[in-house]
Amino acid sequence: MKIIKVINEINHNISLRLYAVFYRNFKVWLRFYKPSVIGDILEPLLFLAALGLGIGKFIHNIHGTPYLLYIIPGIIASSSMYAASFEGTFGSYTRMTTKGIFDAILVTPVSIEEITAGEVLWAAAKAFMSGFAVLLIALIFFRPHISPFILLIPIIIIINGLMFASLSILITSFAPSYDFFSYYFTVAISTMFLFSGVFYPVSALPNTVRYIVYIMPLYYTVKVTRSLFLGHINFMMFIDLIIILIFSFIFFYLSVYFIKKRMIS
Amino acid sequence: MNDYAISVENLTKFYNNFSALNNISFRIKIGDFFGIIGPNGAGKTTILKILYSVVIPTSGNIDILGLNITSNLQHDARKIKSIIGVVPQEDNLDEDLSVFENLIIYSMYFGINKKESLKRASELLDFFNMAEQKNFKVINLSGGYRRRLLIARALVNSPKIIILDEPTIGLDPEYRLNIWNKLKLLNKSGITILMSTHYMDEAEKLFRNVILLNHGEIVLNGSVDYILNKNNGENIVTDAFGNLLQKEELQNNNKGLKSLEDVFMDIVKNENYKSN
Repeated sequence: MKIIKVINEINHNISLRLYAVFYRNFKVWLRFYKPSVIGDILEPLLFLAALGLGIGKFIHNIHGTPYLLYIIPGIIASSSMYAASFEGTFGSYTRMTTKGIFDAILVTPVSIEEITAGEVLWAAAKAFMSGFAVLLIALIFFRPHISPFILLIPIIIIINGLMFASLSILITSFAPSYDFFSYYFTVAISTMFLFSGVFYPVSALPNTVRYIVYIMPLYYTVKVTRSLFLGHINFMMFIDLIIILIFSFIFFYLSVYFIKKRMIS
Repeated sequence: MNDYAISVENLTKFYNNFSALNNISFRIKIGDFFGIIGPNGAGKTTILKILYSVVIPTSGNIDILGLNITSNLQHDARKIKSIIGVVPQEDNLDEDLSVFENLIIYSMYFGINKKESLKRASELLDFFNMAEQKNFKVINLSGGYRRRLLIARALVNSPKIIILDEPTIGLDPEYRLNIWNKLKLLNKSGITILMSTHYMDEAEKLFRNVILLNHGEIVLNGSVDYILNKNNGENIVTDAFGNLLQKEELQNNNKGLKSLEDVFMDIVKNENYKSN
């Protein structure tokens, strides 16, 4: 089958050389990391403060959980989604086009598959930093209320990062210009942020809307993160995790396939 | 193994329905300083991009030091890229890194260990008289220095062949001369050089052998000296069909042309050499 052949070829062309691609981005980030980290921490904090304290004043709890604690796992998942998406679109697109970084690497033994994988890994690393920052803040302020399963959340943040990094780079592979990304952020990212259960249970939505929510990758990460955060361990979590992994797998191979198609004529 | 660094046979490239290269063949000897000349859009860059595996040929065979590329066989691409150095037409230095970091990070792409890459990078900066600019940001370099760094970067892996796509375009005479001298030195040290240009004075000064391309076809293939009737030379010159051109025929065709520039203009204007 053609799909299996394509996947095999991609796997064959990916080696640890992708680390060099990741390292280059990390090295550049080190130069400007301060404003970047402040943004990563400040933005989710603003959401937590405004919604948790403001709306939380009126909504005391959801299913018995204080509102602020209810939205923290949602903010962890959504802020890592945003970080991966910005890096995978604006960041990767700039390196692919105006900065010519992909072109420069393409004439070395690093394959286009490794360039894409390195970019995915880097965007996922940024997602991790962002999600982990929120998690740390939660640990500092709300430790008594949190389940020990919170220790598994970093793994979910990484997988979530890889999933949205892949999706964003897939979008980048089709982007004719920066303007293209405003569709992606409005149609996909903002919609997921508002409807995936970050701020309220999805069960509150009308049936038809709910069916749309079920195709949103963020919905599943929010669910798993929230269960771990509050210690509500259940069998459905594994199903959710499998769905997240399937999304990640599909997005990753599609992103490599289409970046290759764009870069090699 | 044979004496050739690069052999290209019956290479054709179509972009959709546009024919960029039409069944071209040529060979480059190990140690040669080989040029591709021709007007803009003749197919020079396409040939080079196929050789360094960024463009996939529609048909034809390519052998680079025993490694092969064909339209459906790309598995040698990684090996080929590890033994060649590429200076692209577009300046794609990493502007987020310093001069030295550009070389070190680039070495990582070749899997060269840290110690070796530090040593090699310093040697290259010395060779290109750029030791003082080591910690400069790339953005602060002049055009001439950027171009030198671009060539230095192509040498981090100690390549056996370097491929340069119009490396002196837009430079002032002093910088051009400087780059010519460096390229001659590199060639003398045994590196095979394949370079494209549309400066005919540059072609005459640097190249031993050339192919002249027009509309994706080779219209002239031979040693620069012989084309210009400078000596009797043992090299042969062929026309677009690969037929041997006798000296008289060549002179007749060239009508006493004195420089590559004249030959170039004659070909482009009169299309004497064009097949069909």
